[in-house]
Amino acid sequence: MTATLTSRRLTTAKAIVEAIGDEMAADPNVIVLGEDVGAYGGIFSSTTGLLERFGPTRVLDTPISETAFIGLATGAAVEGLRPIVELMFVDFMGVCLDQIYNHMAKIHFESGGNVTVPVVLTTAVGGGYSDGAQHSQCLWGTFAHLPGLKVVVPSNPYDAKGLMTAAIRDDNPVVYMFHKGVLGLPWMAKNRRSTGEVPTDSYQVEIGKASVARRGTDVTVVTISLSVHHALDVAERLEADGISVEVIDLRSLVPLDRAAIRESVARTGRLVVVDEDYLSYGMSGEVIASVVEHDPRMLTRAPIRVAVPDVPIPYARELEYAVLPTTARIEAAIREVMPQ
Amino acid sequence: MTDVLFPRLSDQDPDGEGVVATWFVDDGATLTVGQLIAEVAVDKVDAEVFAPADGVLSIFVAEGRAAAQGSVIGTIA
Repeated sequence: MTATLTSRRLTTAKAIVEAIGDEMAADPNVIVLGEDVGAYGGIFSSTTGLLERFGPTRVLDTPISETAFIGLATGAAVEGLRPIVELMFVDFMGVCLDQIYNHMAKIHFESGGNVTVPVVLTTAVGGGYSDGAQHSQCLWGTFAHLPGLKVVVPSNPYDAKGLMTAAIRDDNPVVYMFHKGVLGLPWMAKNRRSTGEVPTDSYQVEIGKASVARRGTDVTVVTISLSVHHALDVAERLEADGISVEVIDLRSLVPLDRAAIRESVARTGRLVVVDEDYLSYGMSGEVIASVVEHDPRMLTRAPIRVAVPDVPIPYARELEYAVLPTTARIEAAIREVMPQ
Repeated sequence: MTDVLFPRLSDQDPDGEGVVATWFVDDGATLTVGQLIAEVAVDKVDAEVFAPADGVLSIFVAEGRAAAQGSVIGTIA
C-alpha cells in the first residue's frame, strides 16, 4: 500500500521551507535569522517548523534592528557560515541598506576576490492586499541596480525550492524575494498557481536562467513573480481570440537571461514587459534595452511596458488596483502590439 | 475506514467554522500515513492536516468551503 513519494503538491511557502530544511540538515553551517523567523515561523510562513527541527542556536529570532542582524549575517558568512537572513518586508530596506549594498555586496570585490560572502537575504515583496505604500512595494529593480548581488524572484513552488537550494549553495550574496501573492498562504487571496508539484528530493534551479512559462508565436510577454500568473491567465484567455502569447518567466533579475529574451522576441517580433516594480529606471527598461542594443530590427512594433507608474502604491483597493499590472492592463497592452 | 478531521484550532470559539484552504491531494488519491494532505484556517490561524492512515482518500469538503472544527472533511478507506 505504502509507496515512496517522489513528488507531491506543495505551496510555494512550504517549498521554500523544505529547501531551507534540506540544506540545514545537510550542512551544519546553514543558519536562519531574522524577525519572527523562529517561534512564529516567519510572518509569511517562510521558516515554519525550522526552530522546532533545528533549535535556537541555528534559528535565531532577532530584535527589530535590521542593520545589526543583517550585518551579523554578513560577518557570519565571511567567517564561514551560510546564513539565511530575513528582511521581513523589502519596504524596510531603507533602515539597513548600508549593510547590504556597501558591505554584503562589496566585500568580495574589495578583498580582491579573497573573501566570499555566501549569504541569502530573503524578503517579502508585492502588493494587492491593501497593505499600503510602505508594505506593498517590489523594489527588485533597486537591488538589481546595485552591483555585487544576485537577485532571484520565484513565481511557483518548483522554482522556489530549486532556486532556494541554489541560493544557499551559492558563494555570492543572493537576494531571494518572494511575492506574498505566490506563497499559497491560507489567509491571502486564492491563487491556483501558488500550489504545484514539487519533487521530494533536493534539486537546484540554475540562477540566471529564464523559463518559457508558455510557448506562443505572436507576442512575447517578459515578466517575473506574480505577474507571470497574470500573464498566463491572459494568454489562456487570448488563445480563444487567436492571439498566441509566449510568456517568459525571468526567475532572476541578476543575472538577467538576456539571451532568452532575445531568442523569444526574434521569433515573435513583439514585446510586452510586465513589472510590478516602478516603471522608471527599472526591469522593464532593462529588458527592452537587452533587445534594442542587440538589434532594434527584431521588433516589428514598439514595445509596451506595463508597470507601476512612478507613484507610491495606494492603500484604497480601487486605487491600488489602478496602479498594479492587472490582467486587464496586460491584455490591453498585448492587443495594442498586435496588428490592428 | 478512517475519518479525516478538521483540527480544533480555536479555544475561544471551539464551535466556530473554518475553511479548508488547500487540498494538496486529489479525491481518490492513494495516501501514505503522515503525508501532508491539506491546510485549513480558522480566522487567521492555519494548520496542516496529515493523513491519519494509509489508503484511498474521499474528499467531503471541497477546497475553499467552510467546515466546523472537529468535523469530518474526508475519509480514508
